[in-house]
Amino acid sequence: MTPKVDPAGRTRRWTIPKKYVNSLFAVLLGLIAGAFFMLAIGRNPFVGYFYLFKGGVMNLKYIGQTLATSTPLILTGLSVAFAFRTGLFNIGAAGQMLMGGLTAIGLALTFEHMLPRGILLAVIVLGSIVAGGLWALIAGVLKARFNVNEVVATIMLNWIAFWTVKYGVYAFFRDPQQETQSKAIDAVASLKAPWLTSLFPGSYINLGLFLSLIALVIIALVLDKTTLGYELKAVGFNRSAAEYAGIKVNRGVILSMTIAGMLAGLAGATYWTGYSSNMQIDTSSLPSQGLDGIAVALLGTNSPVGVLFAAVFFGMLQSGKGFMTAVTGIPPEIADTIIATVIYFAAAAVLIERVLDAWRKRRASKALAATKKGGEE
Amino acid sequence: MTLRRTLLTLLILLVSVSTLVACSGTSANFKVGMVTDSGTIDDKSFNQGTWEGVVQAATELKIDKNYLKPAGTTEADYLASIGNLYDAGFKFIVCPGYKFSSAIYKAQTQYKDAKFVLIDAQPTDADGNAVVATNTVAIFFAEHQSGFLAGVASAVELKTGEFGFIGGMEIPAVQRYNWGFQQGVAYANANLGTTITIKAENVIYQGTFSDVAGGQQLAATMFDKGVTAIFCAAGGVGVGAINEAKTRATQGKTAWIIGVDVDQFADGIYDTTNNKSIVLTSALKGIKTAAYDMIIDQKDGKFPGGQTLTFDASNDGVGIPATNPNLSAATTTAVAGVLAKLKAGTITVASTQGDLIK
Repeated sequence: MTPKVDPAGRTRRWTIPKKYVNSLFAVLLGLIAGAFFMLAIGRNPFVGYFYLFKGGVMNLKYIGQTLATSTPLILTGLSVAFAFRTGLFNIGAAGQMLMGGLTAIGLALTFEHMLPRGILLAVIVLGSIVAGGLWALIAGVLKARFNVNEVVATIMLNWIAFWTVKYGVYAFFRDPQQETQSKAIDAVASLKAPWLTSLFPGSYINLGLFLSLIALVIIALVLDKTTLGYELKAVGFNRSAAEYAGIKVNRGVILSMTIAGMLAGLAGATYWTGYSSNMQIDTSSLPSQGLDGIAVALLGTNSPVGVLFAAVFFGMLQSGKGFMTAVTGIPPEIADTIIATVIYFAAAAVLIERVLDAWRKRRASKALAATKKGGEE
Repeated sequence: MTLRRTLLTLLILLVSVSTLVACSGTSANFKVGMVTDSGTIDDKSFNQGTWEGVVQAATELKIDKNYLKPAGTTEADYLASIGNLYDAGFKFIVCPGYKFSSAIYKAQTQYKDAKFVLIDAQPTDADGNAVVATNTVAIFFAEHQSGFLAGVASAVELKTGEFGFIGGMEIPAVQRYNWGFQQGVAYANANLGTTITIKAENVIYQGTFSDVAGGQQLAATMFDKGVTAIFCAAGGVGVGAINEAKTRATQGKTAWIIGVDVDQFADGIYDTTNNKSIVLTSALKGIKTAAYDMIIDQKDGKFPGGQTLTFDASNDGVGIPATNPNLSAATTTAVAGVLAKLKAGTITVASTQGDLIK
């Protein structure tokens, strides 16, 4: 049952639904587990789920809000998934997102009264992409040149980014009234577009959604249709084999990390200059989208389309849980528990599959050995 | 196939049960909601105090109550929570915290038939202008007076030694506590025969209201430097400081904390059998009373919409707890005297920094 993957990364047709079945199964198990949690605190799970999903989709405002919440998740999910596909574990999406966000806010506040909207938005978006990419490049270079584990490097860089943002916002962009946040950007510099907001009135949906979809298509094309994608995936499958085949492995590692960082950096722009209009520094934790991105990538089986669905699903849970709590009094932690359980089962599904695969392989080789033995005798 | 059938069954159940339950509700004429700011509902101070007021009023009036914790700290997250409460039928919404000022500014026009209570701030537009709509009440407290009284009480009780201050974020309400506290200590030194010092290095803003470990670390450093009592106006950061003081007290060392917002005596108990607490006293502000009063006013049809209210010593909106097991009778009398003078206006406490520390 091992999904047979050819060198171009295409899986055999019949295996494609199977990997999504795993994810759907994880979602289902997560929801069932969540139902038990609700039962355990004496609540009706059907009522809870009804309002949880109603809160995600009940009218245009909530649909818009779900999409707005999903936007950065699509990008961080894509960032992690892309790195995964090339054999790297990007835990640094949060830090890359922060650096992208700081750059976006900084550019917006600096140039908002100088440039026309079109150019201004392009500068902000490109700036965030470059910043996120450069931040991840550090981890990429460390890995390629000195073989520093990218997990360690990106975790450390997360906190460097965290404190850089705290310092940067406080020192340069502080709101004179509330010193725990940056000044608010002008509407002209915001990714929120009046026509889009009027389609989903009352929500914080913004152009970031389209940027994330464009990024999704580009990444899908790069992975499946280009030599670069082929090489990067080859490095992911087997570094030594790729090197032997003449692929520049180190260049691949650096490039792959940088692209992952660019995606996460863009997430920062969509979040702080789209969903939000300023950057808050009163928190003691990293933006949750960074780690959630890992979950999104995992549930989406590291494929761009999977990431899209997983991000929208998580976005729906995130935006629906407030309404669930408001109506039913079920604590929002239940929704978080469901998300966590879904992730757990998504990870477990991979695990179970691996265990099964290993077992089958061993059985197959034993059978092979037995036939060989039989043939010799 | 079985999977699909199970899913279908679940879906049918889901829809049928939900429609049944969706029709239930209470007969109350309004429901009270609250949105927490960056701390949690059990932060032992700001959010908790507000929520206790909501609970008290809702229980008395037998009406529905609920609170939401926003997913993040952006205006979008705050407005989403307010919208969730509104759409769930909670049209009386209490928001504690200055960070709600821009969100309430938008909400008060977006949800015209809802009532908003904004504590510690006024709704402000993008340019920083305060606009209190007729469906909103903005509430301020004279934290400097509260800090002043706590400063006097602590100084008179301990007579000599070194005090410290740990703040959460450097925001107006917390700054007023700090400045008032320093003035209170200075007043006691000048008029009540105490010799308390406060060094500039021991007046620190941690930067968050949630970093418990950070608070513990700061408190440990200060105690090690010889500080005997720390005034913590810092939410969760203060919880860390209280933990540190408790640890030291159990080891027989002297370590006092002066609590904030609500009476934190119970949180500082390290010896349950003898009811011993490291919380000397607390600088109160009547958040609970304010939230409670507004809800009762709404019930009575006297909701003071459009107004900005200030709770201070003159209307017992701030002060120290009525009972302080750690304060001697003499101290309590001295503080009562100071409070009377404060009410009479013979003592004034500045709400600005002047030449005070930080």
